[in-house]
Amino acid sequence: MELIPILSTIILVATISTFLLAIGAYILYKTRERRGQIAAVPRQAEIVAEVVTPSGMPAPRQMEQPQVAQQPVFVERQPVIIQQFPGQPQQQFTQRPQPYTAFRQQPTGPVTQQPGQYNVPGYVQQRGVQAPQYTAQPEEVRQQKDSKFLKYTTEGYVSTKENKESGAARWR
Amino acid sequence: MEAKQEIKRSSVVFEDHEHFEPAEDKGNKYLKRIMVSGLISLLLVLVIVYTLPKTVLTVKSLLEYATIVALVIFLFILLIRYFSILIMAYLYINQYTYSSLTGGYSPFVSILVPVYNEDKVIADSIKSLLELNYPNYEIIIINDGSTDKTRQVAEGLVGYRKGKVSDIKISLINKPNGGKAKALNTGIKYSKAELVLCMDGDSQLSADCIKLAVRHFANKEIGAVAGNVKVLNRGKLFTDLQALEYIEGLNMARSAQSFVRLVNIIPGPIGLFRKKAIEEAGYYSSDTFAEDADLTLKILANGWKIYYEPNSISFTEAPVKLQQLLKQRYRWTRGIIQSIKKHRKLMINPSINFGDTFILWIMFYEALIWPAMNIAANLFFIIAAFAFGFSSLIFFWWAGLALLDLVTALYCVAAEREEFRLVGYSIIYRMFFILIIDICKLMSTIEELLGIKMTWGKLERVGVAKA
Repeated sequence: MELIPILSTIILVATISTFLLAIGAYILYKTRERRGQIAAVPRQAEIVAEVVTPSGMPAPRQMEQPQVAQQPVFVERQPVIIQQFPGQPQQQFTQRPQPYTAFRQQPTGPVTQQPGQYNVPGYVQQRGVQAPQYTAQPEEVRQQKDSKFLKYTTEGYVSTKENKESGAARWR
Repeated sequence: MEAKQEIKRSSVVFEDHEHFEPAEDKGNKYLKRIMVSGLISLLLVLVIVYTLPKTVLTVKSLLEYATIVALVIFLFILLIRYFSILIMAYLYINQYTYSSLTGGYSPFVSILVPVYNEDKVIADSIKSLLELNYPNYEIIIINDGSTDKTRQVAEGLVGYRKGKVSDIKISLINKPNGGKAKALNTGIKYSKAELVLCMDGDSQLSADCIKLAVRHFANKEIGAVAGNVKVLNRGKLFTDLQALEYIEGLNMARSAQSFVRLVNIIPGPIGLFRKKAIEEAGYYSSDTFAEDADLTLKILANGWKIYYEPNSISFTEAPVKLQQLLKQRYRWTRGIIQSIKKHRKLMINPSINFGDTFILWIMFYEALIWPAMNIAANLFFIIAAFAFGFSSLIFFWWAGLALLDLVTALYCVAAEREEFRLVGYSIIYRMFFILIIDICKLMSTIEELLGIKMTWGKLERVGVAKA
């Protein structure tokens, strides 16, 4: 049997049922509404209202974000040890921001989440769905990943990365 | 939330700005209208009966040609509507993505929370408002004569509460019941802020909603910013279909309108206004059942521009049952028609404000013409199937529309980074959901044109909204 006549029949029945459902629901709604009619509210020229406000002033509170925004961003150069081998410690200098530097403007456009963070909509949280968590990896971990290839020499395993700041000439 | 703080009570008298025209005798007016419409229809039938024998057409062929022409026109309008909205929404999103931020502008904002019998959700709503990522705002709860424990719960919330960035003042106004429009007007008059954020008592705002919306007010021409409304209580057939409708039907249209800075309805769950723009517009009116549409049209008529901020999100509870959904749509449709009728001068005369004329015609088309066309097309296919045996026509009609909806849903879900599973609902969206909504719209339109009385209905909340 062909597919189109079957689908046509299904859609035809569905459309007629929807028509009947909509008209029936509307009539039922109107019948229920008519029972629950209420008197119109009298119109007044003035509205007398009671205003309830807090009596005192708030206790002074440390404003967190705006104060941070005024501060300059300090950048300190700190040594980070990538990988230690007996007799051959390697050091690299990387820029690490201080922990209190962080007031940044939101990026332009519809993207509102901070880099490295995925904002989950409330309705997803409400249903208890496990949200995908993505966190940016710290600099040390990334550096270690870069040096995962090791070269075997007479001095043992050494990193393949060059120490460009040592100033020593290297033969290729 | 913190402990109850000391409060101060005072009595304040607010002037009611609304001026109502005396009620007219609608019975005679509508009887005349029906009689005139009937006479015109009779005249048209007579013209057809008189001229038809002079042509090559028979009555049957006339009906066939007329329906084919009507369907072609319908399809043509449908495609133009879809693609113009899609293109304008796309241009808007592009423009939005590359526009620069205006940093450092953070004026004082009053958040107005009108509540009526919301004791189940008010505490959670206020708790969510304290989590907003904005330093300079206050919360004003307006209790519109609630008959449950809303007053007691709200009084317990009054005080200076610890917000995310600063301490937030929470005040409460207890007033006699008068509707949402009057409640918001009372709050606007009480507020001393430059900007006011109007929302629903059961809605929850996203953390950055004020920060993102406020930046547009650096442009002095902007009178209001409409936010993005999303369905909170998902997981059921009707609420999921509404979630798709909010993304595909409402937000995409709002994006397209925002491209020309002419958003026609600032949604009730989230709208940020320049107080001056509301004062110039003469505040909210309670003579229509869509007070937000009415105020938006008045603000536009005064020459202000209105923008849409897609990242200022308000999560709201959507109707779960069909009866509640019909109640909501009945009120929306009649309210929009009332607003169109109220501003018909602007609709007819484009020299007053062309933007308003354009927007009013779009509203007229969406509220009256589109539902009628959709119902007529579906009826035609049912009749064609039974009377002429063309049952496969309805399949091709459905397949075409479903494909169009599928593409639009894919685009909208991608643009809003929404749940992908909503795309699947586009298959039954037009044939099932929109048909129900359109039948409700048509019935409401007929009732409004006949002048049948209606009352404010309040949706029953179950307290799903949690902070």
